[in-house]
Amino acid sequence: MIQAVLSLAIIGGILGAILGISDMYLKVENDPRVDQVMGMLPNANCGGCGFPGCAGFASALVEGEVSKVGTCVVCSADKKTEIAEYLNSTPGPDGTTVKVTA
Amino acid sequence: MELFGLFISLALVNNVVLNRFLAVCPLLGVSKNSKNALNMGYAVTFVIFIASIITYLLYHQVLKPLKITYMDLITFILVIASLVQFVEMFLKKTSPEIYKAMGVYLPLITTNCAVLGVALDNISSKYNFVEAMVAGLAVPIGFTLVIYIFATIRERLEIADVPAAFKGAPIALITAGIMAFAMAGIAGIV
Repeated sequence: MIQAVLSLAIIGGILGAILGISDMYLKVENDPRVDQVMGMLPNANCGGCGFPGCAGFASALVEGEVSKVGTCVVCSADKKTEIAEYLNSTPGPDGTTVKVTA
Repeated sequence: MELFGLFISLALVNNVVLNRFLAVCPLLGVSKNSKNALNMGYAVTFVIFIASIITYLLYHQVLKPLKITYMDLITFILVIASLVQFVEMFLKKTSPEIYKAMGVYLPLITTNCAVLGVALDNISSKYNFVEAMVAGLAVPIGFTLVIYIFATIRERLEIADVPAAFKGAPIALITAGIMAFAMAGIAGIV
């Protein structure tokens, strides 16, 4: 019994350590606007917008691939204006803002 | 020679998708586009190969000596989940386009029954280490072959003259069934 618990804990610890170390080497610079937009989207991950999940739609919005927030069919109207206002006013890492319509 | 027979048996004759009906979720989910399908095949090959090696070693060097072989399911899932997380991080850093194209199906490799299936089969079929490695290569190569062929067929079906009621998912499922017929034709060879 105790061997099972201990061995599982040790294996989990080793794998977690490997993942933690590789996370340090495999860091990706994330545009903070993408996370903000993702927080404002309904997060249904329905794919109705044509993008892979809400994360895909959020990055497409920030990168300018899509300019209508209304492409998300699940979003409510005031959320759409909120996202549009946020993106139109917040500059990205290179200083430019994205122009979107609700 | 026996290893070659094992390879053919696991990759083609007892194909994991079309004969054993595991891993059907990525088959239908990632096969809209043949490049995505190929990338999914590569990711699954990497995960299954490494996972079958690690789980085999874990079972025979840790679980059996300590007489806790009943923990195999939990520890295998732990190993597979960490491997998939590592692949995700690696892909996000090295090629964000592939990462975005695969979307949610990349973490779903964790729940892909083929991965756990190969890991558990290596134990129950009492393979030695070399046979486990061959199984870890043969099964995902069979999977990649099937998903790539299926994706190319689906790309053709997009522009083909399909009756309106069958467009999209229905004709894709019928195609998968016909492919399973074809695979059943060589059943029992090895």
